[in-house]
Amino acid sequence: MATFENISITEDARLLLQKTQSDGVETVWQRHDAQQPQCGYCETGLSCRICVMGPCRIDPFGEGPQRGVCGADADIIVARNLCRMIAAGAASHSDHGRDLVEVLAAVAEGKAPGYQIRDEEKLKRVAAEYGVTADGKDTLAIAAELADAMMEDYGMRRKSLTLLSRAPEKRRRLWDKIGVTPRGIDRETSEMMHRTHMGVDQDYDNISKQFTRTALADGWGGSMVSTEISDILYGTPTPVAVDVNMGVLKEDHVNLIVHGHEPNMFESMVESCNDPELVKAAQKAGAKGINLVGMCCSGAEMMSRHGVPHAGNFMSTEAVLATGAVDAMCVDIQCIKQGLVAVADCYKTKLITTNRRAHIEGATHIEFVEHEPRSSTDEMVIQAIARFKTRSIPVEIPQISNPGIHGFSHEYINYMLGGTFRASYKPLNDNIVNGRIRGVAGVVGCTNPRVKHDWVHVELTKELIKNDVLVLMTGCAQIAVAKAGLFTPEAAHLAGPGLAEVCETVGMPPVLGVGSCVDNSRILIAASEMVKVGGLGDTLAGLPVAGAAPEWMSEKAISIGQYFVGSGVYTVFGVHFPTVENTKFHNLLFDGLESTYGMGKWDFTADPYDMAQKMIAHIDKKRKELGIDKARERVLMDMASRREMDVA
Amino acid sequence: MKQVVVHPERCVGCMQCMVACAVAHSSSGQLYTALAETPRPRPRVHVGAGRYNEGFPNRCRHCDPAPCMLACLAGAIFRDEHTRTVLIDPDKCINCASCAMACPYGVIRFHEDPVAPPGKSVAVKCDNCDRRVSQGLVPACTEVCKSGALTYEEMDEAMRRKTAEVARSVSAGAETAAVPPALALLAAVKKVELSL
Repeated sequence: MATFENISITEDARLLLQKTQSDGVETVWQRHDAQQPQCGYCETGLSCRICVMGPCRIDPFGEGPQRGVCGADADIIVARNLCRMIAAGAASHSDHGRDLVEVLAAVAEGKAPGYQIRDEEKLKRVAAEYGVTADGKDTLAIAAELADAMMEDYGMRRKSLTLLSRAPEKRRRLWDKIGVTPRGIDRETSEMMHRTHMGVDQDYDNISKQFTRTALADGWGGSMVSTEISDILYGTPTPVAVDVNMGVLKEDHVNLIVHGHEPNMFESMVESCNDPELVKAAQKAGAKGINLVGMCCSGAEMMSRHGVPHAGNFMSTEAVLATGAVDAMCVDIQCIKQGLVAVADCYKTKLITTNRRAHIEGATHIEFVEHEPRSSTDEMVIQAIARFKTRSIPVEIPQISNPGIHGFSHEYINYMLGGTFRASYKPLNDNIVNGRIRGVAGVVGCTNPRVKHDWVHVELTKELIKNDVLVLMTGCAQIAVAKAGLFTPEAAHLAGPGLAEVCETVGMPPVLGVGSCVDNSRILIAASEMVKVGGLGDTLAGLPVAGAAPEWMSEKAISIGQYFVGSGVYTVFGVHFPTVENTKFHNLLFDGLESTYGMGKWDFTADPYDMAQKMIAHIDKKRKELGIDKARERVLMDMASRREMDVA
Repeated sequence: MKQVVVHPERCVGCMQCMVACAVAHSSSGQLYTALAETPRPRPRVHVGAGRYNEGFPNRCRHCDPAPCMLACLAGAIFRDEHTRTVLIDPDKCINCASCAMACPYGVIRFHEDPVAPPGKSVAVKCDNCDRRVSQGLVPACTEVCKSGALTYEEMDEAMRRKTAEVARSVSAGAETAAVPPALALLAAVKKVELSL
């Protein structure tokens, strides 16, 4: 295995991995090592298992077969594989959203005790977008109608998704023209699966349209619905100081970690952990209290909304158990490694699965039900207390935690920049036009044992802010950079002079955390606002913005990447990209989508400095196209010259 | 001295050895970039299909005496005295194909190669990954083979192991099969498929 210095830049992950190795416990890094070298056909996307005439492989070096049994060539095999990744990614975000729509409906019917509408104003605002008028209706009636209208977005009755109305007009017309306007959230995923079935869509260019449409149904549909309902039910995030890293665990407390993605169970867990009876029970067991901590995207949601401390990102979920301090880890959906079972077993942590859709053999299953949330979360807390009482493993917690400011929703960014008097994105646009801020980058995505843990995220982000690029972050990327301490207003000194000046004026960090991975939809909304406010052209593709997922690993990341590209954003991925360079489909993604269809385009590099240069070059290109690349001469206007001005 | 040993009964026909071989003989040594190279690197190990469509990794046996070496009029084929590997000097090769005609196994191919003069097709075959081995690595095909069909070991050790496996499989009430059950099943399925 690589040396511990080479696998992560975080001190605590290294310490704990060393511990797992001496304890004889296998983690993601050893399993990754055991898989080396990985299969070249699968890496390039050139293997096809879609039907049982196969499996087929295309020999990329030309000696072996160049077509599958059905005749499929390299382009269509690679395309279908990526298309199916998108379908799975979009389905994951959208199914997450569906759960939230169901909770909203249950709240409206009074069948979800413990849940309530926390942001009524946002409920009314979103309802209005769905054509649900507020006049005279009580809150729950509006919620019922909104939930109903959102369910229609999942179906096949609409010609286009409701929230697409948030995109700039020109972009929507472009989508219509190309024929990629998403109609129903589930419909697009379903059609994608159909088109990639054996013998259906076998034109790499035509199939790429459904590829885009499915991704857009995620970004402007499933993910956006998730974010909006989460805000309505649990509160729209506003900045909050949070500690991140494993030092947030407390030796003398019952430590309970929630890891996964949906906020529903976690919200109920907050209440359970604050229940006086349960706190008393914990104290009776000898603990000072109950310490509730988040991980992964569940953690990112709760950190942004309630300031719940965060113990680390996806690569840290096994390592954290090696502290011996985790009494229970409660998980719901997505990114939960099956390997956790063996690690939890070694350190006697209770690993509890909670979601009907995600059981893991060997873990305890306590099913979370929305209409009776406390019954299951209380039980999980009781199990954690029981584990605390019988702790037999020596506890070793690396005392490292990094404070930072998180919770920048698009609504708050709007308020922050203009105040209550004239809340607007105008100051942001103005600062981009005057060059203090060079552009905006979204740096998002997972962590991956194929690259040095957190390193690519942190180096890329540092490089971007140094060059006056404001960085918006979500999910595991956000946690990586928070651990490096960049989420404090003091980190402004690491930014270039222009961005530093803006950060000091507003009192914000140079890097803004906007939430979990479904909250990437907030970045779409923020970018659309920038276009609507004016001064930076009339289309998303014209903005000086770029996106990146430097340590991505999941199918969801590909879907996010394509909904950014489809929305007009230049997007760079790290680690590896499962296509073959110079094939027709690869060239379409990396060039044709932009030059032929007016979308954004994909790019790839594993190196963070190269990635930053690519993103900055793109931002500079857009600045030049907008004519804001050079400082303009300042003209003193007197009354006479004002009268001559042509005010349109 | 360790060498590449082929255990054909364990081959599942995944052809990963071919990709690993081509990458190992590319200029960049990385899959993603190797695919964009000119000349495009090519494998020196070739997986063929047996009578029951079972895989067979076919590679140079580095025979001694080597028919290819005897047939090479240009004197391009020579044996490395230290490793006993039969090698081809791309600068001396005249692309006459005499070696390929003499080779009983059909493992010599003719194409451009990163180490050959640009634009010239030369005879190319397995070099036992001499470059990798000198760097302390094992041959690429043995590193990538997941089923143990290609191993890098002392021939004596390989033969001892094989003898032990066969001996155990023929003894009465044998518990361990010479071939792991999953591989035996795969082979059986392939045979049945063809007989239907």
